[in-house]
Amino acid sequence: MSGGAGRAISLRFRLLLAMFGPLAALALVLGLLGWVLISDVVRRTNDRVLGGALGAIAETVQVERGEVTLDLPPAAFGMLENSERDNVYYRIAVGNTLLTGYADLPAPDISVLSVDEPRFRFAQFRGQRIRIAEIRRNLPRIDAPVVVQVAETLQNRNSLRDKLMIALLIGECVLVGIVLLLIRPALGWSLRPLSDLRGVIEARDTRAAPDLSPLRTGPLPTELRPLSRSFDRLLARLDDATTGMRRFTADASHQMRTPLSVLKVQVALARRGSGEALHEIEEATDRLERLLTQLLTLARADEAGVLPPDHEIDLKELSQHVISRRIRQAIEADVELLLEAGDGPYRIHGHRTLVFEMLSNLVDNAIRYNRPGGMAQIELSAEAGVVRLAVVDTGPGIPAELREMAMSRFARLQGERGPPGSGLGLAIVKSTAERMGAQLELGDAKPGLRVTVTFTV
Amino acid sequence: MRILIVEDDAALARGILSLLRAAGHAVDHVAGGEEALSVSATEPYSLVILDVGLPDIDGFQVLARLRARGDQSQVLMLTARDGLDDRVRGLDLGADDYLRKPFEVEELEARVRALGRRRGGDAAPEIAIGAMTVNRSTGRVEVAGRLIELRRREWAVLEALAARAGQIVSRETLQAEVFGFDDPVGSNALEVNVTRLRSKLAPDGPAIRTVRGVGYMLDRS
Repeated sequence: MSGGAGRAISLRFRLLLAMFGPLAALALVLGLLGWVLISDVVRRTNDRVLGGALGAIAETVQVERGEVTLDLPPAAFGMLENSERDNVYYRIAVGNTLLTGYADLPAPDISVLSVDEPRFRFAQFRGQRIRIAEIRRNLPRIDAPVVVQVAETLQNRNSLRDKLMIALLIGECVLVGIVLLLIRPALGWSLRPLSDLRGVIEARDTRAAPDLSPLRTGPLPTELRPLSRSFDRLLARLDDATTGMRRFTADASHQMRTPLSVLKVQVALARRGSGEALHEIEEATDRLERLLTQLLTLARADEAGVLPPDHEIDLKELSQHVISRRIRQAIEADVELLLEAGDGPYRIHGHRTLVFEMLSNLVDNAIRYNRPGGMAQIELSAEAGVVRLAVVDTGPGIPAELREMAMSRFARLQGERGPPGSGLGLAIVKSTAERMGAQLELGDAKPGLRVTVTFTV
Repeated sequence: MRILIVEDDAALARGILSLLRAAGHAVDHVAGGEEALSVSATEPYSLVILDVGLPDIDGFQVLARLRARGDQSQVLMLTARDGLDDRVRGLDLGADDYLRKPFEVEELEARVRALGRRRGGDAAPEIAIGAMTVNRSTGRVEVAGRLIELRRREWAVLEALAARAGQIVSRETLQAEVFGFDDPVGSNALEVNVTRLRSKLAPDGPAIRTVRGVGYMLDRS
């Protein structure tokens, strides 16, 4: 939706990223745990076999005629045979004296060996790691303890452990792979309500006039309801705006028809030789021009919501500008134009052109609806947090009950008895004030009209 | 013919006024609906040109109240609105014609002429009385093939009498149909115009008789 400069990441990729990290970490932890567990199991099982062989050998150690004898049972070594052809070593000693076996098999510390209890340990022998099982036996009438040791190299254990680890890793990979492969169809299935929603929206495109009524989507998943609600709100606002626009265009075209009729009639009269007609044509053209300017100003004021509002405006300086623009008109109407203000400055924030047009329209009204020899005055004042701008005239004023109506579009209170106008001046002022959050108030200047605009600073 | 313009836009009213006066009509102007109702109650307007958008009461209401009190004047509605509804509503309320702003001047004039003809119950543009023909569309008057130049008041008198040829038209009616209420009229203005008209129609045109104490009558032959 967002039109940012960078490319947005696809939902699938997002989900992939979000899932892949944790999955990989989980697989790693599982692998480590598996390693520990498998190593332990492999050690225990092989230790049991090694311990069995040790027991079988130790049992044959006997005392005959004060001599220690033994009969190495072949079955004991048979137990230790395996496909990996691990080497098997043994050593039987009485005290530190070797009875039989490999003399250099690392001897245990006899004092830590408890009697008849096999002990297992890893050691280094002839450049290879080996597992040694050893037991201490006390034989009758023999003073020194008999130590029996059986050892094997670790090929079988390692290969078993590796096989199990590989199986585990393959399992993990398959699991992670399946999850990642499933993301796409799962996402498609989960997002189907969204594409249904899109279908409903797209169906609107085919109508001639845009249908801005709320979407009729049927039941939606919880996650999509806020989206649909926001969309409906947007539609409603758009509907308001277009309705307003349509009414405005209708009003505007309605408003153009009368001066156009005047033009047509007067052009016909001019063609028939009327001397008055040229003057009338000129007036009608002025009227049309003024109407157009004001319509444009109003349209601008209406859409100013989207314009950056943050000019700093000094109302005093702005008033001086407006006065210099309107002074000729005032002189022609024999109205004195005044500015009543302190040293200022009277600063507000807003859209400069809009405020200028607003004040210009107020002053235009004050000159237009006035009397010869009258006065139109801009007054500025500032209090805590507010700046007040008032335009006061010495014209007929507006009766209290008509003031609300006077601010609506195309309202002309005096009909043909009043000076020519479009009925848009106060509507422009009102629209601008609303845009700026300023208060607009029509009051009595006894005689005349006082229009006060209060800006919050 | 006597015409009332009800239009709140002063410039447009001025324009239509000069247009219709130049065509020889006696035209008055008011800007509001209430004023239109009170003026038309006392003056015998043949035609009311009525704008729909008036500041006080709208043209439809004015029309409805005119018809409600039995006013038989022709009414031509003027509107700046687009809708078909408006046209239908106006005609249903008893308007005789309908014109949308901005209008072509020729069209307004033609419609005013057509409505004027219909007033006498005779929609034909040309009336022949004896050796005289009066064309109400073009304002052309001929007597035995000879073109008669008429001033606009004389034309108004002739048109009013010709529409009711053979009938006595009261002095008051003629006066009201020929002069608007703000026309500067001397007490014998009507007599002056009738006299001039008589001499222009003579010797072979129809005679205008004075019916002393009542009014005037244009002879049928």
